[in-house]
Amino acid sequence: MEGQWLVKFGIEFVPKEYYWKIMYYAIQAERGGFSNLWITDHFNNRNVYVTLTAAALYTNKITFGPGVTNPYMVNPVFTAQAVVTLNELAPGRVVLGMGAGDKTTLDSVGVEMEKPLTAVEEAISIIRKMIDGEAVACQGEVFRAAGAKFLFKPRGRIPVYVGAQGPKMLALAGKIGEGVLINACHPKDVEYAVSCVKEGVAAAGKRYEDVDVAVYTSFSVHEDIKKANKAAVPVVSFIVAGSPPQVLERHGIDVNKALEIKEALKANDWGRAFGGVTPEMISAFSVCGTPDMCIERIAELLKSGVSQFVVGSPIGSNVREAINLVSEKVIPHFKT
Amino acid sequence: MSFRNIAEAIPAEKRQTVSNKLSDLILSSKNDDKMPNDLANTLLYFWQRNVLAGEQGLATLLEAATLLESEKVIASLADLGLPDVAERVKQTTTKT
Repeated sequence: MEGQWLVKFGIEFVPKEYYWKIMYYAIQAERGGFSNLWITDHFNNRNVYVTLTAAALYTNKITFGPGVTNPYMVNPVFTAQAVVTLNELAPGRVVLGMGAGDKTTLDSVGVEMEKPLTAVEEAISIIRKMIDGEAVACQGEVFRAAGAKFLFKPRGRIPVYVGAQGPKMLALAGKIGEGVLINACHPKDVEYAVSCVKEGVAAAGKRYEDVDVAVYTSFSVHEDIKKANKAAVPVVSFIVAGSPPQVLERHGIDVNKALEIKEALKANDWGRAFGGVTPEMISAFSVCGTPDMCIERIAELLKSGVSQFVVGSPIGSNVREAINLVSEKVIPHFKT
Repeated sequence: MSFRNIAEAIPAEKRQTVSNKLSDLILSSKNDDKMPNDLANTLLYFWQRNVLAGEQGLATLLEAATLLESEKVIASLADLGLPDVAERVKQTTTKT
């Protein structure tokens, strides 16, 4: 009899690379036991839906979707159109990750992050109706529609995951999402996030077990801890620089040291920025280390009630080898 | 000499190692804009079928890796104890 998985494994790729590199890794991840493939959505990388279309054609069973898109850069009707069309290419394998977006990116194109909670909720409502083939008429606070409807019959069901970090968005995610993408790495943060999600789930009268709660991590694995750390440092430096003081203080990180890193990054002084990253910062903002160390951290995260662990950037100094390590040494540990 | 002929000269017991090494050279290359689409698609075709360590797969990897990182390919093959194969790749790249 086949064993049961204690947690599903997802993997995130940033389509900054050529499609053929992402597809190489996607094929490898599918073969290695990953169940979910998430492609990030930023206008300054390659297009998320073109990349997902390639994933639909080059993979056979992995579930995939944008992780995450936002309602500001792309009108919800176009997001609905994109995922519905993808679901025709790969029926039953498409999910949609939707969040409020990242302020820096939105600022760079002059788009205001107006009422993020309302925007996400209204967008998802519109998208669900479109997926169900309904005509959408609404006068929301952020979005309006007057009978928007596809001229074809959409097929199938597309679960919506809400990407969230703050307590209100986490609660909303629990309330309206079939899944939640929690942006956190440390057990303390994940435990708190899950408690917020549970509030939303309870408010909606749902069962927590029916929501796929995914923890979306910065991940770096290598048999040599120094190499794992070295790969994690650049990503961690950006997370530290972008973290509010209360988050840094919660992890015992000196706010002034974080400011120094931020200044160095602004000045493109990579040596100073990366040199300022401490082991405490790596521990707070990534899952990093040898396979055994990663197993230990994932097991800790599972105690909070997480049902999907997402291996995110940088994955490792050598992505191909890192995917193999996760497939061969980490994933099998979480099968009963 | 074709890349298929060069691939055939790689001993069976070293094919997986060579396949991994060539894949790493391609995936980490900064010259990835030199990769022709049809070659990338052929590579993915063989990878989907998990036969990049077969003769056709190795031939594709050799062609792609040589286009992107010819000197590293030659050095890597020599490091893997395949000086004859490295020499054949060198001759092929010199001709083209």
